Amino acid sequence: MHADADRVATALQRLLDLALAWEAPGGIRALSGVADAMRGMPGLVSGLRPSSPEPPEPDEVAALLAGLSPAATALLRHVDAHGGEGTTGSARRTVSPERAASPAEELISRRLLVPRDGDTVVLPGEVGLALRGGRTTTEPVDEVPGLATSARDAALVARTAAGAAFDVVRRVELLLDHWSVQPPSVLRSGGLAVRDLKAVARELHVDEAGAALIVEVAQSAGLIAEGNEPDGTPVWLPTEEFDVWSGRPTSERWARLVGGWLSSSRVPSLVGTRDPAGKSWNALAPELSSGLAEEARRLALRVLAELPDGEVLAVGTGTASLVQRVDWMRPRRPAIFADLVTAALGEAAVLGISGAGGLPPSGRRIAEDDLPGAAAAIDPQLPRPVEHVLLQADLTAVAPGPLETEVARRLHLLADVESRGGATVYRFSSGSLRRGFDAGWSALEVRDFLTAVSQTPVPQPLEFLVDDVARTFGSVRVGHAEAFLRADDEAALAALVHDPKARTLGLRLLAPTVAISTSPLDVLLPRLRELGAAPVVEAADGTVRVSRPDLQRARSRRGRRPAGAVEARRAAQVQAVATAIRVGDRAETSRPASATTTTPSGALAALRDAIEAGTTVVIGYVDNHGASGERVVDPRRLDGGRLSAFDHRADDVREFAVHRITGVRTA
Amino acid sequence: MNDGPLIVQSDKTLLLEVDHPSAPEARKAIAPFAELERSPEHIHTYRLTPLGLWNARAAGHDAEQVVDALLTWSRYAVPHALLVDVAETMGRYGRLRLEKHPVHGLVLSSTDRPVLEEVLRAKKIAGMVGARLDDDSVAVHPSERGNLKQALLKIGWPAEDFAGYVDGEAHAIDLDQSSWTLRPYQTEAAQSFWDGGSGVVVLPCGAGKTLVGAAAMAHAQATTLILVTNTVSARQWKDELIARTSLTADEIGEYSGAVKEIRPVTIATYQVLTTKRKGVYAHLELLDARDWGLIVYDEVHLLPAPIFRMTANLQARRRLGLTATLVREDGREGEVFSLIGPKRYDAPWKDIEAQGYIAPADCVEVRVTLPDGERLAYATSDPDTRYRLASCTHAKIDVVRDLVRQHAGQPTLVIGQYIDQLDELAELLDAPVIKGETPVKERQRLFAAFRTGEIGLLVVSKVANFSIDLPSAEVAIQVSGSFGSRQEEAQRLGRLLRPKTEGRSAHFYTIVSRDTVDADFAQNRQRFLAEQGYAYRIIDAGDLTAEPS
Repeated sequence: MHADADRVATALQRLLDLALAWEAPGGIRALSGVADAMRGMPGLVSGLRPSSPEPPEPDEVAALLAGLSPAATALLRHVDAHGGEGTTGSARRTVSPERAASPAEELISRRLLVPRDGDTVVLPGEVGLALRGGRTTTEPVDEVPGLATSARDAALVARTAAGAAFDVVRRVELLLDHWSVQPPSVLRSGGLAVRDLKAVARELHVDEAGAALIVEVAQSAGLIAEGNEPDGTPVWLPTEEFDVWSGRPTSERWARLVGGWLSSSRVPSLVGTRDPAGKSWNALAPELSSGLAEEARRLALRVLAELPDGEVLAVGTGTASLVQRVDWMRPRRPAIFADLVTAALGEAAVLGISGAGGLPPSGRRIAEDDLPGAAAAIDPQLPRPVEHVLLQADLTAVAPGPLETEVARRLHLLADVESRGGATVYRFSSGSLRRGFDAGWSALEVRDFLTAVSQTPVPQPLEFLVDDVARTFGSVRVGHAEAFLRADDEAALAALVHDPKARTLGLRLLAPTVAISTSPLDVLLPRLRELGAAPVVEAADGTVRVSRPDLQRARSRRGRRPAGAVEARRAAQVQAVATAIRVGDRAETSRPASATTTTPSGALAALRDAIEAGTTVVIGYVDNHGASGERVVDPRRLDGGRLSAFDHRADDVREFAVHRITGVRTA
Repeated sequence: MNDGPLIVQSDKTLLLEVDHPSAPEARKAIAPFAELERSPEHIHTYRLTPLGLWNARAAGHDAEQVVDALLTWSRYAVPHALLVDVAETMGRYGRLRLEKHPVHGLVLSSTDRPVLEEVLRAKKIAGMVGARLDDDSVAVHPSERGNLKQALLKIGWPAEDFAGYVDGEAHAIDLDQSSWTLRPYQTEAAQSFWDGGSGVVVLPCGAGKTLVGAAAMAHAQATTLILVTNTVSARQWKDELIARTSLTADEIGEYSGAVKEIRPVTIATYQVLTTKRKGVYAHLELLDARDWGLIVYDEVHLLPAPIFRMTANLQARRRLGLTATLVREDGREGEVFSLIGPKRYDAPWKDIEAQGYIAPADCVEVRVTLPDGERLAYATSDPDTRYRLASCTHAKIDVVRDLVRQHAGQPTLVIGQYIDQLDELAELLDAPVIKGETPVKERQRLFAAFRTGEIGLLVVSKVANFSIDLPSAEVAIQVSGSFGSRQEEAQRLGRLLRPKTEGRSAHFYTIVSRDTVDADFAQNRQRFLAEQGYAYRIIDAGDLTAEPS
């Protein structure tokens, strides 16, 4: 082994304890299954390759190796470095050292590579050992790879992490608020469309990878799920959990998100990249998961947690060194594991678990899987919710921190958000204030709210704006009516409106000379006449329409046919009648001659016979209208409950439903 | 949690809480790289833009300093993505350098080969560069220096220009500071321009930009071409230069529609330079008429697009841009950056006001109600005539009269857009009117009379917006404007911001018709003023008589 002797002894003892190796008479041997299971792994374990049945002495091997050409040595080292197996291609298997033409043949002839089945050659264990100078690996394996670190103030680490944590919670909330109103549809393959992901990225001021992470984390935490729009389109919707989640303090919300991320098998880092088939991965696609993801995250955090406070991963080289360490700890993971670990580190930074490359106390709790502890640890670091905003003369309101939910909700109604982050900038405009009035606020309420919520006096321009909007709000009123009534005679109109008999017409006086009715004109008009009024109808342009209705007439039909058509048609009819009569005659003539089969099975048998014989039969048939009749047919095919037959009367092939055939007899 | 005055938003805005004890320090730390977007009473908003960051980079600040300033003063944690973005954006400036090469003349070189490759592959750039000299540099024809810089900025890799400047024809220019002294910020502005080579100095109206120009000329000691917006301001420049420098009237030429003199110091108007005759610019040769050592652009934010193109060919000469605002209504800030140069000096209005160099202003919006007849006319008129109807209501005239009476004895300007309205006002108030058709001589006479106090009331049209020095104005009454342009508002307010005797504050009235499109535009102006930090009041015309002056 390329390792310290004591450590080797410890490791061996451990293997013996685990019964993965046993003390054979010839020395310690691995269980036969172990060697097979580890075959094909590059680099590290090729020392465990089985030796030849009768291995030559190490000296001999060394001598053979010394006698090789440089090209052959290089090839041998390459095979060794890549798992001790290779394919030979065109190299001949049996060749003497003198006649070897290529490096591969040279090696085979000296039995430094041994042909196995097919065109595979293997490197015998003793050759590999000799090649590496008597050791199992070229690199030392007992040294734990170090981490590249640098010093960083622990307070800064905590602040950076808290900032990121706050950001991610805010973004998830923003995203789901947005999706509550405009949910994106679920792709047929189950994911989120690239276009929708781009929209998310724009909305949240992040890049697409960041957007994918937010979306995936929200899903892992159970805050979004597939739902349906009223019209049945499947869409991504916030779950009911989201409502509960929104009401919790930021730190708990964060812990929930992180917990979801930590134990999920999703791989958000793949979003936007292409799978081996060249199809790009969509966020939320069901296949976007890996059984290794969770282990990669936990391992990455565990290693990170080993760093003492005040020490963080170095910028640039730190991540690579951590990946190397994890690789040493878990040598038998597939190559994607390293990518997963790298991604996990990046995601941990975005989610505020780590900050500036180190773990703050909250992150350490996460690494220990203590979510409530983590929430408690990060809580003091997060911005306190504020209840007040600063109102300014340029019609903006600035909340210098996260606003209390209730205040935020109200402010949201009255103003538009202009900028988000640690603080929120709102802008008042006539449009946004009108929204408030639409929701039932009065100018007084708006002003009271602003006074209550503002730390500073309400600026005069804002007061003017509120008054301006209040003044014009509702100055035009719109309603629904089926008809209107106009009269110059105010008294007559008033009398009509107040007439108890007119109550059902739904009349309402808008002005002394104008009333509206909820009854349509065609109901209103006769009723008004009954009530003794003599109304005239006004057209849309205000002109009076004469009450006498136009006499109604249909257009006379004018059909012109070419002269010969009538004769031709008649001739065809005559022909058809003649044919029908003749067929009828035949049916008549054949009737007494043969017995009619009326049982369904008999009918089917008779039809099959007729098909085989190619004869003509008469069938009793009930048509679509329930009328029964007889047809003279030549059956052609019978399947699926349908008979296909040449109908003599129609002079064409027709289909008949078998269950409607009442009887069959030969013609 | 840190108790800093700054809140960094994820959309790259910075909110500065003004009342915080450490706000001044924080402001100082972020001012070099963040652009002040608005400064209302409690929270000032700054924005991080690529241009702002590159300006800072050009001024010698690095990403580390920026990140450090953000981290130090921020109340909450700074979004990580934003820090990365800052570092990346700042890293883009200066990867490409324009340099002088002893053999090949001008060379675009890079220490970062992939960047150079990327840039050379861009279609826009390919036509502007010459032969590849080696892996890291490529030849550039000197005439493409400006176009190349402009194109590079557009694709996000601004080049740093180390190619230097020609000295130009030497000409002795000294400041004559016997009766006055340069204010500290003026000295500083001129010095930082000179150190930077070329660039823009941003100072509020009334802060004495002309003197910064003069100081820059004294640094250059060379023949100078000054480009100004119009003839009146050309004359003002001339008068000022004669009064404040060793230059004499013979040394200063005017190149305008009326006079075409080319002297060691020549003042030309934008108008004459952009005049086309038979499809070609007739006066382009002016740019090459002398071996100019310095070119000064007054009111850069108004620089017409053709002048940009001409400027692209003047990259070997030192260029100084003077302006009150980098905001251009046409959004061509990037071209100012690449063709004239980065921002070299900036002082917010409020700071200079606090130092007592410009007068504080009291902004009041007076709302009038349209009489019923006019309201009906307004309601039934076409949208394009509505603004005019609303602006020119007679109700405004009474208000103007009241205001003028209230401020009797104080020099007052009445500013408007529509000539009929101005004529009517002038007649009613018995005051002279200056409009587009007023001859330059007459204008100058009136302005001079106003400055000396001979005339106490002047009715002016748009012509007064730019570069006319009326330091004595104490009251401005705006009756109509061109659709609420921010720039116009800055200019008009600038008229009032010259320091006043006895520290009196200036009054800026805007008369607005209630419930009309006029009021909607007024909101833009109001927002601009509030964002600039001016106290803004709204009063009803009916309450005006009760208002103490």
